[in-house]
Amino acid sequence: MSQRDAVRLADQASFGPTEALVTSIRSKGASTWVADQMVLKTSSYTSGKGGEIHQFTGSGDFCTGKGDDCWRDYYSTEPLLWDFYRNAVNQPDQLRQRVAFALQQIVVINNLDVSGNYGFRNYYNVLLRESLGNYRQVLKKVIQSPVMGDFLNNANNDKDAPNENFARELLQLFSIGTCELNTNGTLKGGACMPTYTNETVRSYAYALTGWTYPAGGATSYGCYPTGANCRYYGGANDGDMVPVAKYHDTTVRPLLNGYTVAAGQTAPQALETVLDSVITHPNTAPFIGKQLIQHLVSSNPSAAYVGRVAAAFTSGKYQSFGTGQRGDLAATVAAVLLDAEARGDSVTRTGGKLREPVQMFTGVLRGLNGATDGDALSWWWGETMREHVFRPPSVFNFYPPDYPVAGTTLVGPTFGIHNANTALARLNFLTYLLDWGGTPATDSSVPSPTGTLVNLTAFTTDAADANVLVDRISMLALGNTLPTAARTEVVKAVSWWTSSTDAANWKVNRVKAAAYLIYGSPHYQVQR
Amino acid sequence: MNKKTSSATAALSMDRRRWLMRSSAGLAGALGLGTAANLVLGTKRAYAADYKALVCIFLYGGNDGLNTIVPTDSARYNQYATVRKSLALPSAGLLPMSGITYGMHPALQGLAPVWAEGKLAPVFNLGTLYKPMTKAQFRAEPGTSTQLPANLFSHSDQQIEWETGSTSALTRSGWGGRASAALQTQNPVISVAGSTRFGLTDTISPLVLPDTPGETFGAYVLETEAQKYAPNVLRKNALNALYASGQETDLTEAYATAQRNAFSVSERLGGLVAIEPGGAGALAAIDAAFKPLIADTELTTDLASQLYQIAKLIAANSTVGGNKQMFFASMDGFDTHGNQVAGGAPTTGNHANLLKELGDALGAFYSAMKALGMGDAVTAFTQSDFGRTFTPNNSTGTDHAWGNTHLVVGGAVKGGASYGTFPELALGGPNDVGVDSWELQGRWIPTTSVDQYAATLLGWFGATDGQLNTVLPNLVNFGTNRKLGFL
Repeated sequence: MSQRDAVRLADQASFGPTEALVTSIRSKGASTWVADQMVLKTSSYTSGKGGEIHQFTGSGDFCTGKGDDCWRDYYSTEPLLWDFYRNAVNQPDQLRQRVAFALQQIVVINNLDVSGNYGFRNYYNVLLRESLGNYRQVLKKVIQSPVMGDFLNNANNDKDAPNENFARELLQLFSIGTCELNTNGTLKGGACMPTYTNETVRSYAYALTGWTYPAGGATSYGCYPTGANCRYYGGANDGDMVPVAKYHDTTVRPLLNGYTVAAGQTAPQALETVLDSVITHPNTAPFIGKQLIQHLVSSNPSAAYVGRVAAAFTSGKYQSFGTGQRGDLAATVAAVLLDAEARGDSVTRTGGKLREPVQMFTGVLRGLNGATDGDALSWWWGETMREHVFRPPSVFNFYPPDYPVAGTTLVGPTFGIHNANTALARLNFLTYLLDWGGTPATDSSVPSPTGTLVNLTAFTTDAADANVLVDRISMLALGNTLPTAARTEVVKAVSWWTSSTDAANWKVNRVKAAAYLIYGSPHYQVQR
Repeated sequence: MNKKTSSATAALSMDRRRWLMRSSAGLAGALGLGTAANLVLGTKRAYAADYKALVCIFLYGGNDGLNTIVPTDSARYNQYATVRKSLALPSAGLLPMSGITYGMHPALQGLAPVWAEGKLAPVFNLGTLYKPMTKAQFRAEPGTSTQLPANLFSHSDQQIEWETGSTSALTRSGWGGRASAALQTQNPVISVAGSTRFGLTDTISPLVLPDTPGETFGAYVLETEAQKYAPNVLRKNALNALYASGQETDLTEAYATAQRNAFSVSERLGGLVAIEPGGAGALAAIDAAFKPLIADTELTTDLASQLYQIAKLIAANSTVGGNKQMFFASMDGFDTHGNQVAGGAPTTGNHANLLKELGDALGAFYSAMKALGMGDAVTAFTQSDFGRTFTPNNSTGTDHAWGNTHLVVGGAVKGGASYGTFPELALGGPNDVGVDSWELQGRWIPTTSVDQYAATLLGWFGATDGQLNTVLPNLVNFGTNRKLGFL
């Protein structure tokens, strides 16, 4: 396998190429490497506190007297963010983490509207566990999640006047989308033919009534509504919600795709029918398949590519991958990554995707043998770049899948958070990391800090020859050398540093200059 | 709610300070606040007599217009209170709107003086429409009809249709962007709320500036100060070579183009956007107007921060460039499906907090414009995904609906009056989309369209009838009722 193709795969299926990873991919080949990735031990979220915030029966505020870090440690997702970045930079199950990261941007919850990191920990561990399993199971866990239930008001949803919020987004964002699709993801008839009406939304809302939080929560003022459990995200089965019959609608409810919830069904029975109706809906395979391609490989996949991925989703099988069950994610992900449009040395004019800020953070850190504890990548760089992990503004994620890219006929989801402001911030992140030394561990406020730092030692060995150095980093970050004209200017900038301009640091300064320009180049920023 | 908690804000500003400290240590005052002061030096700001600015404030999530402006005559108030139940605002607490039989949510106290001055106007039952639509016509249209806005009640679709002035979510360019192109404004739409669809054209992206005074806007290595250092000059040359046109893919080309624009714009505006309240280059008139919303050098709410940025840019409009400027700000969190009001206290809770942020910031912004002597030249207006159901759900919230109340503020606004037609507050009535029992939630069919609203704003802004027809393709469907008269 070529260097270029291996770097492409590392960009698509990991949090960024390292020299060791690229060597490993090249020696194994794409298919074997993907298969090997799928059986690695699953990394997990472990930081954060328990459910005490939802069991507090004292007076006043839970955090009173518990120190300055109480909000951060109990309510916020920051501890999970530390885990996220540490795992992304260090743990070997890269593919699983990348797919889980894609899924968490499809079945979105956020820490703006709901809080309690013990619940989010369950949710994201479920996504890691199920990310190469089956999409029906992902949806089943999402529907039953108390955090999702709280976020989109399906917890304690009452048949007497059901809240439509969750039902609508289940259809619109998590499964079928608003327009009827061909199996290759294109619009049926070339226009948007609605997949459902508001009556459908209400039917799904009724069918999904009658779930409450798991037992275990408590407050000083009791639990409402009557007969429901207090807000709580913990306990057995990942904290899944439990049925509460008095709030569940038992009327006949017609659903999509020929399914109907029969009269008298319990909430768990209705849930199975809901799941069957959406997982078998002809839209789901191309709708979810295309978004997985957009997250991993390309913002504008060809219809044929979407069709092939959708076929893998539907058949549950791709080459030797998958169980044969509809919705199999191992098969779907393998189809995304091993497709001819994803592999090879070249990319079409319309290929590639603008790297997400998260991918840029981790890509530079991994490529340059760095470390992070996440602290600098949350309120600081995460907010600056509009991708503060676990805090998207709404269920619509950080950016829409169809954001138009001005000056082209293409879409570019990540362009939805890209502009003059964040464009310059991308370069400033590199200045921060390379020229100003990042964040040393002593400046980090998280437990067991590592800071956010790169380690350039390995590259200084090649720094005596600016051409060799520039090409080495280019081959790592881009999989090929820079175009001649640009390469000449980059080498010139790198070569300014000599033993006479800075006797002590000229080599490492050469590495910094080269890394800044290569990781700051459009060739890197747009994953091709 | 999309609000940073206080501890989060503290963490953010701590990081920012650390960054600023390091940056000035590393690059000798790269922020160039001295330069910024020069940009807006003096108290007398020359601006062209025909200068005009439009400021869009998008309320993401779908503001509950029915709890923003409430009818106060007893017949309609009773209809309202009967259906809204625990969400109903008590009539006694509504802020009176002298001259019309409506009152404002008490959280909009910040706009009460603007109403009193006659510079605020509500526009009723406004929404996405392809053409005027009666209930009978609506019921007769198949769901797939192009005579209806596509995907009603969906956030993303209705946001796009509002921002693009169209009835299809497949429309790429925004009505702000198209107006900017038609009027050949010197700058594209300037957003302090991210890459909005409103400001897009087919070829140009909106100019997005930081939403927070003091935030860095510039690439450190390219700053004037940094460019006195030889390695940085070489680095800039290399960046120019890397970002030259002729990239390998369309997206890379688009990325490189955006970056080249960013380099040049940041040189021009970097100093201006960095000015903080009370800091070097800050204008007393703006600081005084925003004073209740300033703590130390920071604005206390997201919208106040954005509108403060816009106020500075309007004051320094000759530096920004052009005599017609369009701005975009936004708030999140209006999707109040649950806990819209606090239990037992309907004037408090999530929606009240949101309206307070809106009213306070917009009131301060209006005062700032007036103090600058630019009140008549600046019109601010709201947009939002959709209105919310008249009938609450059982989570003390409301669901997605359609027609909605919007607010227009500015010295040129013919305020003290309302525009459009308030919906008949009858479930299943002539304005309600619903007939059958399952659908009687009070989702109003709009009686005034986004196009008419936009045409009124753009007509004031300087667009000719011909330009309006280009910018707002569905406007012709409304015959001679093109403008609503609030400007």
